[in-house]
Amino acid sequence: MTGITNLLRKNRTQSITLAALVVLFLLALQGMEPSDWIITVLRGLSVAAVTFLVASGFSLIFGLMDVLNLAHGTLFMIGAYLGWTAYVRPDTLLDLATPFALFIAGLMLAPLWDAGLSRARVAMRAGRVLPWLILALGLGVLAFGLVRYPITAWDASVYDKSPVVFGVQLDLGQTDLPAPLTADRAQVILAMMSVFAGGALVALGLALNAARQRLAAPRVTWRALWLPLSLIVVGVLVYALNDALTAGVVAAGTTWRFCIAVIVATLAGAGLGALMESTLIRPLYARPIYQLMLTLGLGVIGREVVIALWGRTQMQMPKPALFNAMGKGCPAETLWDALINQCATINFMGTRIRTYNEIFIFVVGVIVLIVVWMLLQRTRIGMIIRAGVQDRAMVEALGINVRQVFTFVFALGVGLAALGGVLAGPSMGVSDDMGESLLLAGLIALAIGGLTSFPGAAAGSLLVGLLQQFIVKYGQIGIALPFGAQPFKPTPPLVPASTLLLMVIILLVMPNGLFGRRE
Amino acid sequence: MSNLLEVRDVHTFIGQFHILQGVTVTVPKGAITTLLGRNGAGKTTTLKTILGLTPPRTGQVIFDGREIQGQRTFEIAALGIGFVPDYRAIFRDLSVEENLRIAERKPGDLERKADLIFGLFPDLKRLIKLRGTQLSGGQQQMLAIARALVADNKLLLIDEPTEGLAPVLIEQMMQAILQLAAETTVLLVEQNFHVASQLAKHYVIIEEGRSVQSGVMADLLKDTATVRRYLGAA
Amino acid sequence: MKILRDHSTFLAVVVFLIAFPFLMALLDGQSIGAMLAGQSGNSKFYQGLLIEIFILGIFALSYDLLFGITGLLSFGHAMFFAVGAYTAGLALKSLKLPLPQTLGLVILAGIAQALLFSIVLPRVKGITFALVTLGFASVFHIVIMSHELNDLAGGDVGLQNIPKPDYLDPAAQRLTFYFVALAFTILVYLFYRRFVDSPTGRVCIAIRENEHRAQMLGYNTFYFKLVALIVSGITAALGGALHALYQPIVSPVTASLAYTVNALLIILIGGVGTLSGALVGAAVFRLLQFFLDKFFGESSSFILGVVYVALVLFLPYGIIGTWRAHRLEWQAAWRARFARVATMLNRKT
Repeated sequence: MTGITNLLRKNRTQSITLAALVVLFLLALQGMEPSDWIITVLRGLSVAAVTFLVASGFSLIFGLMDVLNLAHGTLFMIGAYLGWTAYVRPDTLLDLATPFALFIAGLMLAPLWDAGLSRARVAMRAGRVLPWLILALGLGVLAFGLVRYPITAWDASVYDKSPVVFGVQLDLGQTDLPAPLTADRAQVILAMMSVFAGGALVALGLALNAARQRLAAPRVTWRALWLPLSLIVVGVLVYALNDALTAGVVAAGTTWRFCIAVIVATLAGAGLGALMESTLIRPLYARPIYQLMLTLGLGVIGREVVIALWGRTQMQMPKPALFNAMGKGCPAETLWDALINQCATINFMGTRIRTYNEIFIFVVGVIVLIVVWMLLQRTRIGMIIRAGVQDRAMVEALGINVRQVFTFVFALGVGLAALGGVLAGPSMGVSDDMGESLLLAGLIALAIGGLTSFPGAAAGSLLVGLLQQFIVKYGQIGIALPFGAQPFKPTPPLVPASTLLLMVIILLVMPNGLFGRRE
Repeated sequence: MSNLLEVRDVHTFIGQFHILQGVTVTVPKGAITTLLGRNGAGKTTTLKTILGLTPPRTGQVIFDGREIQGQRTFEIAALGIGFVPDYRAIFRDLSVEENLRIAERKPGDLERKADLIFGLFPDLKRLIKLRGTQLSGGQQQMLAIARALVADNKLLLIDEPTEGLAPVLIEQMMQAILQLAAETTVLLVEQNFHVASQLAKHYVIIEEGRSVQSGVMADLLKDTATVRRYLGAA
Repeated sequence: MKILRDHSTFLAVVVFLIAFPFLMALLDGQSIGAMLAGQSGNSKFYQGLLIEIFILGIFALSYDLLFGITGLLSFGHAMFFAVGAYTAGLALKSLKLPLPQTLGLVILAGIAQALLFSIVLPRVKGITFALVTLGFASVFHIVIMSHELNDLAGGDVGLQNIPKPDYLDPAAQRLTFYFVALAFTILVYLFYRRFVDSPTGRVCIAIRENEHRAQMLGYNTFYFKLVALIVSGITAALGGALHALYQPIVSPVTASLAYTVNALLIILIGGVGTLSGALVGAAVFRLLQFFLDKFFGESSSFILGVVYVALVLFLPYGIIGTWRAHRLEWQAAWRARFARVATMLNRKT
């Protein structure tokens, strides 16, 4: 008992704030019918889960590297677009798989370049601009190859072939995809080779850039060649079996396609994150404000690229079959029935709950929370991250390569954001401005939780999600104010204002956030 | 090759400030060498320069026969240098065990060294489940030194191990460091001349970023004029 | 004479800007009379572009004082500008006040907002201050464009039909407006120079370098930060008022994070904490935006993004900062080159 009193006394502001939030929450519940508040809470939890996927990566990256990654919203959106592509157009995905594998194989030559360069002592003479020129050249060669490689894609400028139409078609159950492009073998081989060369050149540029700052020669084993070689083989195999694979994926049904989409988007996001960190962010660790601007600029670029490739129109991403049935036995009465009958909705306490939006997304959010928490608490890399948040220099002085850990954490954070994007696709729709609101929500959640604290990010997301949904609901039913004759109905634009106000108030009461540490 | 570490005329800048302006230190194998000097003379920066935390702009650092200046900190540390900073740098969010475990360079290091570590600091065994924040100053110091012992380090850089400790603890810490020196080489920074003179066999005096004098501690103890001039203590 | 020599660049730029409308008219083949009468043409068009640059420059200067000099990172700076713009617009339109009273009101609004921001100053630092100010500004942004205030502030379209005084009409009296904006920009710049060189300004710089040390030296850092905030706030609000006078619509975008980011970009391009960098940056920023829009249309924001990333990576101290760091080297190199040419010429004769 004394222990609890002591705990309360030590964290007085924290306890009072938490109590105030609980009272506020109960008051908000009290103003509604039970069926209303149940659905509102569930929707809030779902929004919280998506926000959490953005905010958790945010907080990991900010905690360890002090980088406020303002491109995070864009990366979330890119996750949604990549997921949409893998889901709606598996043929395009498989067409892309071959050049992608070859490009990565080229990139994996980096250690070889590294060793070769330091042996030849070229790097010292390379200067500042040469690596970037080679990098640009590599990207040019890559583009040259990609243009020539046959990729069956959509065309945003022609309505019949636009991404929007394919989304609607899948929603209507039409699964036939356009006929694959054909190209003569010489063209394809040329394209494959230039994509691989592009990767190799990019790797050379990166190696040059890294080697400029280092004196000692890294060791390299010939085993490093196995992985790129096997990637090349995989790439060529995928090309040879392209038609059969596409037919197989299409026949597998939307549930499996959705699983593939989730995996593809998450991994691609992680890869993008690793690439971003190791090329652009790394030179700027000493200049935080420039990092801020860099990530902001990258966010703008990413969004423009997405618009150029997919068009400006919002696209539909139909729900996977597992959560989409309306027929026999639906709406289900229990969770089990819903799974068996693949119901889109469940009856619960007098309201109808959507299995995908309100249950699946939340469950994934909780799973991610637990998995990342275990990663942080139970693994060696988690231990290094927790230590690095406090004192990077000391971790390095123990003989640990912190930069590798940085890249890992950046990849993890961006991967989680991309996962959030692909999960949000079916419930929010896929559009180029979906990242912006999530960036703001994630930022608010992060600030409320205390910037660097992982559980803080979860708590902040929870608050943001619940508050948003309650304001939305009260926008429909109105708040009876004691002095107003008419109930006050907040309009949708006021929703972000409410979460911003919550953030300001919490930061004023507790400058370090709910779970932040006093510095 | 009797010198484990040689620092030759290093110059280090922090921002635009020229902190080390020519420091030369030799650390013979198997003994304790101490850096002496007033506050702000550059002793801590010398340790950080050896580790590459504040890389030198010119000069050489030779460890175990090879040049290490300009390498990344983690590469230098992995060659076998342990670091015990003056602010101890115990990780707050890690338990005592994790604080030791994180210093492992290969799995099982901690188990292998358990006898040595808990022999020197029996208290740590009792505290193994506590968080870094829950330790007292003396316990944190023990943990910081223990952490440097987990991996097989040939050289330990220990910065101000007795700062802010109670006299009883200072005595215990000195015993521990002496025992350590029997197995590894130690480069020690110590404000307290009384402590330093009892521990170290060799000394280097650093004054305003320059190494001004070095030699055997026994000789320095006879030279009260020098001691008074550079260290302000008799 | 010494003043002339020490400030030769500054004076040259001022003279150029004064002569600019006339030069432009000459280049265009327009008679000076027609230009003075405010007839449309290249001269009038580029005057307009420069007025926009001046307004952006004033806004960026105020941000440089806050962030570059005092070290306070705010994400809500656009709110000062928007508050100034909306106050001026509403005072002229709804209250029908004459211009001087309007400007007085704008200054008061700037001070009031600086005081609002200063409430949080002692409690939050660093990135948290940035986030709290972002919170304030975003709430203002949302409220100003909300449905509820549609009649007053014009919702998400913005404030329109602001009556402008005849003698300062941006369409009919463009040249007068140009010189007023130019004069105001120069005044603000000179005042800022003076401020930074004053003891108060020195303490502000000390706070940026190490607030703790400034406190140890016995300065009440809160007071100095407040002064910087008020000066910066008044300037930005006046810049906003100028914006409201010049533009046909005051858009709520002026309160958004994007607008603060513009200011940040401008001073990064020009050089953080250099003051003159804010003006140079504003010119580069606006001209880049203008010409990219003109030549690339749709994909201009993509190119702008690439340009920013390149600037951040390759020009870490901004234009002015890099110039200051390398001026002596470059001058020496040029002098050497001249000397070589001179000796070659001598040899020939």
